[in-house]
Amino acid sequence: MLQSLMHIQTNRDGVVSRRSFLRSVAVGAAGLGILGWKEAVALQAAELRKQGMACILLFMRGGPSQLETFDPKPGTEHGGPTTAISTAVNGIQVAEHWPSVAKAMNDIALIRSMTSREGEHVRATYQLHTGYAPSGSVKYPSIGSIAAAELGKPDFDLPHFVSIGSRNVIGSGFLGMSVAPFIVANAAKMPNNVQLPRKVDAQRFGRRLDLMRDLEQDFAKSGGSARVDEHKALYGSASRMVLSPRLKAFDISQEKDAVRDLYGRTPFGQGCLLARRLVEQGVTFVEVESNGWDTHQDNFDRVKKLSGVVDPGFGTLVADLKVRGLLERTLVIWLGEFGRTPRINPRTGRDHFPRAFNVALAGGGIKGGHVIGATSADAMDVKERPVKVPDLFCTFCQALKIDPRKTNVSTGGRPIKIVDGGEAVKELFT
Amino acid sequence: MTHHMTTTKRARLLPVLAIGLLSAWAVTAPSSDAGPPNKKRPAFQAANKPIAPLPPASALLTEQDWQKAPMTPLQPGEIDALVSKELQSTKLQPADLTTDEQFIRRATLDLTGQLPKPADVDQFVADQDSGKRARLIDRLLAGDAYARHWARYWRDVITARLPSLPGGQVLALSFEQWMFGQLKSDQGWDKVARAMITAKGQLRFDEPGKNGAAFFLAAHRGKDAADERAAETSRIFLGIQIQCAQCHDHPSDQWKRVQFHELAGYFARLRERPIRNPKNKKMMVGGIELVSAPRGEHEMPTKEDPKKTLLTPPRFLNGKGPGNNATDLQRREALAREITSKSNYWFAGAHVNRVWGVLMGQAFYEPVDDMGPHKEAIFPSVLTRLTGAFRGSGYDVKRLIRDIMNSQTYQRQIRPSEPTEHLHFAAVYPSRLPTDALWQSLVNALGDFGRPNQQQLMRLQARTPEQAKKMAEAKKRAQAGKRPFFQNPLEALFKQEFSFDPSLKPDDIEGSITQVLLLMNNPVINQRIQARGPTVLAQVLKKYPEDDAALRTLYMRTLARKPTDREVEKCKDYIAKAGDRAEAFEDILWALLNSTEFQTKR
Repeated sequence: MLQSLMHIQTNRDGVVSRRSFLRSVAVGAAGLGILGWKEAVALQAAELRKQGMACILLFMRGGPSQLETFDPKPGTEHGGPTTAISTAVNGIQVAEHWPSVAKAMNDIALIRSMTSREGEHVRATYQLHTGYAPSGSVKYPSIGSIAAAELGKPDFDLPHFVSIGSRNVIGSGFLGMSVAPFIVANAAKMPNNVQLPRKVDAQRFGRRLDLMRDLEQDFAKSGGSARVDEHKALYGSASRMVLSPRLKAFDISQEKDAVRDLYGRTPFGQGCLLARRLVEQGVTFVEVESNGWDTHQDNFDRVKKLSGVVDPGFGTLVADLKVRGLLERTLVIWLGEFGRTPRINPRTGRDHFPRAFNVALAGGGIKGGHVIGATSADAMDVKERPVKVPDLFCTFCQALKIDPRKTNVSTGGRPIKIVDGGEAVKELFT
Repeated sequence: MTHHMTTTKRARLLPVLAIGLLSAWAVTAPSSDAGPPNKKRPAFQAANKPIAPLPPASALLTEQDWQKAPMTPLQPGEIDALVSKELQSTKLQPADLTTDEQFIRRATLDLTGQLPKPADVDQFVADQDSGKRARLIDRLLAGDAYARHWARYWRDVITARLPSLPGGQVLALSFEQWMFGQLKSDQGWDKVARAMITAKGQLRFDEPGKNGAAFFLAAHRGKDAADERAAETSRIFLGIQIQCAQCHDHPSDQWKRVQFHELAGYFARLRERPIRNPKNKKMMVGGIELVSAPRGEHEMPTKEDPKKTLLTPPRFLNGKGPGNNATDLQRREALAREITSKSNYWFAGAHVNRVWGVLMGQAFYEPVDDMGPHKEAIFPSVLTRLTGAFRGSGYDVKRLIRDIMNSQTYQRQIRPSEPTEHLHFAAVYPSRLPTDALWQSLVNALGDFGRPNQQQLMRLQARTPEQAKKMAEAKKRAQAGKRPFFQNPLEALFKQEFSFDPSLKPDDIEGSITQVLLLMNNPVINQRIQARGPTVLAQVLKKYPEDDAALRTLYMRTLARKPTDREVEKCKDYIAKAGDRAEAFEDILWALLNSTEFQTKR
């Protein structure tokens, strides 16, 4: 039974530390709650570490209107004043204000038939991040943490999951701290406290760490060893990050001005650029947020402004990943927690509408230049090929080569599948 | 920290073949020379290595178990005798008692969330009186710091599970201040519970501390509020996690769905709404108000069709209810009566379990808020006796704490153990310092962070009479709430990063990378570690040109103890190698502040 655990560090007595086991191996399949012995036995290093897949999630907080993004209905009552523009793909049109995306349409697939039941922000956001509706007893992990756990290499020196520009991040839930998102508030600056302070260079930092470890030993010997070990592992991870040559990935000032301009000199645009840099350096999952899509009033003007920010970011990101040969191994997801009502309200706005909304995907083996599903002419219903949230999450898993049926064990001891039910949208893959 | 394996049925089903895996779990730190002192294990002994001692026996508690425990005050030595009895079968030797230096640090942290002052440590150690530990406990229990520290504990217990924090920190602070008053004036825990469950009226931003009891219920809102209130009332006051039965019958306990919803029924007519300030355009919401609805019953969605619902009038877990058509206040008064009733042992047991868990580092039931007739407790005889005494004393919170802390069981040292080994309360578990205490320790070591810098000072100056008026009002509010007018932004950030849920199993609470980065690299903290300038370290180095004395002072300020000989030797080596005394001491201070022990109660 233990022979299969080839990759686990053992000491000379042949036994293994729970904590080192968890950190060195089970950034993964084991789940970081209480580990069932069956799950431990099933671990095989080679199967776990899928080389190199990454994911960038562009989250449109508030619920972006599908009619003003990728499912326009020009000339109809519900379509409003929004016109449609052609894209690089014959037969596919998107709403005006999305020229960058239109240009990159050969690499982008649209799902116009997303449908869900959650029309409340907090619950829907949770669901579109975890694949599950919120429940009191289980803290489900975000897809970012799941990807980090399944795909992140254990000895990688940067965080596996980075969140950019969000003030309300859905975290790792029961998967624990080692796959928790590292939060970057401002993409244009280095993250807080990640740089060594004045007068402390790498050597002095190293000396400080060694001194600290040295001085901890008496406390460890007298009964604090479990806490000291955990502390040491955490300091190990943090200091690896601080000393990592890859840390400069967080410094977008290193990019040429022309490139930074293409992405857009906005927090979101620069966030997309940072995401590309991080994925390039081996970070598994990056989430970039654009807030403000909850357009209950003044929908058209506000979406125009928002599109002006998100379009260059999204479009340039896809093109840039492609040019650098990263698109195949990077799944790009564009979505919000729901869509908006086809009926325009008296304040020239649209309200929440989960019944039929859209999602865009690129990279990760997704067939670009395709549309999945359709909504009715009045946009009120999904007409063809409905895609539910579990289906969407199974699709993510397929792109990232993660097994959606794999179970992790929650802190309450319950086995939780990565995705509960659903079926991947196979038409998206070759 | 051990991995507690016996408190769930699932763990008890581990087959014998998993003992092999148990030994894989059993040991050992990868640290270079950690490991139990004075134990050399030659390689050939690996095969015969004994498995870690089995976890303590546990048992389900019946009504009779609780009932037969005497309600008389605890006699000196009684807790120890009970613990001793349970230890007999294990042949475990209890750990040595803490030294005076260790004891005053632990007791002061447990009672006040602060480190003892170096002068107090010296005085305590020198004191020859045999009753000094008891006197220290009494003195600390009588102070404001005790009430504040434990008020913060309960504040964290509640806020950690709120879906959102309405009104931000301000209303949580109101709760803290109210609870401070309750603890300071020795209110029985039954009175505290009743006040929280039957609270009504307003919780206002501009009257901090007033009606703070209302926060417990007012912090929940929306259509799920009744469910949430029921769940939290059960979790915090009964130690029963009934919300798992919200959607389906409880997986491991035997609570039925309908019981959860009947509990929610007690809150069916309670509503909350924001307090509007129509005159004040800038701040339209002035707080939250609890209001009673004149009618309504809780509706439980049926399993077959969630759109269909069944009315569930209020009924307690023992089947009793407040009768038909009870008003909001009648319901909640009835609920408070049931919960604090003399025959509800879980109410008292839940409190005892938590307090023991905080003081000893491990509780009888883990996690502390997951108890119930279908769960197993370790050392049940100790729990039931403590609970009996607690009930008999009128739910006297201070007395419970005093009784536990005066026992030898509490006063024992921590001891080395394997990661999965249970200490059987023959020793105390080291535990993570709560957030406010850790911040306090940082301030203690580096001096007050409170003073604003030049930039911040400029922003604090009012430039118009309107601004001046606003600032005066804000100042008044802050002073009424006993908060500093200017809250250091590092403090806010620090407390946000380091906050954790005190009800989680200690093993489940993990540090984060951003916490570590903050302590390691934050420029403000780093500036105050400097050996030059208006810093604590500069003063220490000037006052104590002898390294021994300087080291001792730093250790006393950060860890409230003298350094060991080995630690002194290591530091002196370091200073010699560094060449620059000031720089070396900066590094030493950094190492102390970043150490595990700095964040640990031992």
